[in-house]
Amino acid sequence: MKIRFGLTFILAVSLFLMSCLPSPPGGGGKGARTITVYGFSIMKEALETEIYPKFAAKWKAEHGEEINFTSSFAGSETVTNQILQGAPADIAILSIERDVDRLIAAGHAPNDWYVTPQKGIVNKTPFVILVRQGNPKQIKDFPDLAKPGIRVIHPDPVSSGGAQWSILSIYGSELLKSELETGTKDANRAEEGLRAVWRNVISTPGSAREARTQFETGYGDALITYELEGLLMKQAGAPIEIVVPRSTIFSEHPAVIVDRNVTAEERPLMEAFRNFLWSDEAQKAFVKYHFRSVTNESFNDANPEFAKIEMPFTIEMFGGWKQAYPEIIEKIFLERVKNK
Amino acid sequence: MSANLSGVRHTRGFDVIKPLSIAALLLMMLPLVLLPIASIFIFGMSKGLASFWESLTAPDAIFALQLSFVTSFWATVFNVVFGLFAAYVLSKYTFWGRNSIIVMISIPTAIPTAVAGFALLLLWGPYGLLGQYLSADTQIMFTPYAIILANIFVTFPLAFGVIMPVLETMSHSLEEASATMGATRWQTFWHITLPSLRGAIVGGALLTFARSVGEFGSTILVSGNLAGRTQTAPLYIFAKFNEGQVEAANAIAIVLALFSFLIFSVLFFARDWLEAD
Repeated sequence: MKIRFGLTFILAVSLFLMSCLPSPPGGGGKGARTITVYGFSIMKEALETEIYPKFAAKWKAEHGEEINFTSSFAGSETVTNQILQGAPADIAILSIERDVDRLIAAGHAPNDWYVTPQKGIVNKTPFVILVRQGNPKQIKDFPDLAKPGIRVIHPDPVSSGGAQWSILSIYGSELLKSELETGTKDANRAEEGLRAVWRNVISTPGSAREARTQFETGYGDALITYELEGLLMKQAGAPIEIVVPRSTIFSEHPAVIVDRNVTAEERPLMEAFRNFLWSDEAQKAFVKYHFRSVTNESFNDANPEFAKIEMPFTIEMFGGWKQAYPEIIEKIFLERVKNK
Repeated sequence: MSANLSGVRHTRGFDVIKPLSIAALLLMMLPLVLLPIASIFIFGMSKGLASFWESLTAPDAIFALQLSFVTSFWATVFNVVFGLFAAYVLSKYTFWGRNSIIVMISIPTAIPTAVAGFALLLLWGPYGLLGQYLSADTQIMFTPYAIILANIFVTFPLAFGVIMPVLETMSHSLEEASATMGATRWQTFWHITLPSLRGAIVGGALLTFARSVGEFGSTILVSGNLAGRTQTAPLYIFAKFNEGQVEAANAIAIVLALFSFLIFSVLFFARDWLEAD
């Protein structure tokens, strides 16, 4: 009987403990305003360790108000879909401009979002190939990934913005190389090159970060990803090498205020935070986390790890995302390459 | 049972089949269940106890565990009460459409949890069928209430599934005797029916609770996955895994594994204890 009483008591106490929702951790206390950021997968470290604390300190100094941050990270397309379904993002930092366009089309973001410094782009990074230490498969450039027996990990273009950059990178680098060799951009050669690499893709994780985790657990011979992912991995002591392709794309990442979720009173705070992303302080912090600055190239000299790229290009080569998405991702990749 | 069966033919000497079959059982479990769980413990502890403790006591980790337990608790309360009510009604009365109701209650079992989450969004999301009529302050999706709703959906048939068979096979002589002695329906239910269902209720509740705590697929869609706000323990594990922080992910995974062990131990022993008197 005594045992039963004891057990009932424990049960009652634990039931009581479980019946109330926990309060969110972190400083600021009750009533402090919160900035909710939805970011694409690789933004996490730079934001949480540098950008949030720096902005919170600045805001405190200027307005005497504590600010909390909360965030969620996933593939860029996934994040965008979450916001389109009503996720409470104040600010979205996305991998690709196409996702901003999707938010605008649904009325979540203003048409004039790019009327900001750097046309809405907060930072950039080139696309590279990660291989195992010692480069056992002798991979030097994108075409080497098409060699028989190479197992490539590549995020899924349906959910990941990084995956789309990667596709544009492979495709565009072949265009530029063909132009260099023959004088004209050979679209057939570029498509063939992309198809050949895609045949060796053995896994398509949901985001660049998931792809990296999979690669880190020992799966696959090569991973195409953002340069900063490789640098973060090396910094953590992972046994990998970064292979810099002769020609590759610089991915450019936009930040946008999600108008639908921001009230008039909150707006100045959200704008201040977004504009802070272009401040020298934030741009230097990005460089520390291996993103390249978009406001001042000289900041990038502070990071000795940044690779030199022989023939870099940007989305402008394809006429911007408004053309690159339908013409290359949809018409060439999704329709002609993916399942062939 | 098994002792009787094996005793039928091997009346003399040592029964070799017994140790062999037990060994075979364990051998089958080893690669399928035991080793995967063991590797969670090995990797969770790989950086030492101090690091394990640090991962476990990170504010977002504690919050995630609390949130999982609270949301699972309320889902369990609802589903046990509902399961009891449904089982009572469906075993007491026969009526046209009774079987369809039983089938409907069981539907969530085979629905992928991601579909469950998506269905809730389509209904209650800010642009959903009903959600569009809610004001900005009363939105349900992307709050802890959404997680409770998702848990209720996903574990809907569990408590019912445990209680219903017990109620159906229960001898009704006591209930009839109670009724003849002039007890009201409520008295009969409270004093006769409910006590004999104690084991089934506790079993159903623990099963529902355990399943809710581990829920992932629907939660990630409806919760918004905000660390320290709407991120449950399984979402936290997934987020940490994606960040490459395998130890932090495994620390919480260990808690959930131990918790599951505890729940099913309680389930195992409580059944005898509850049905003892």
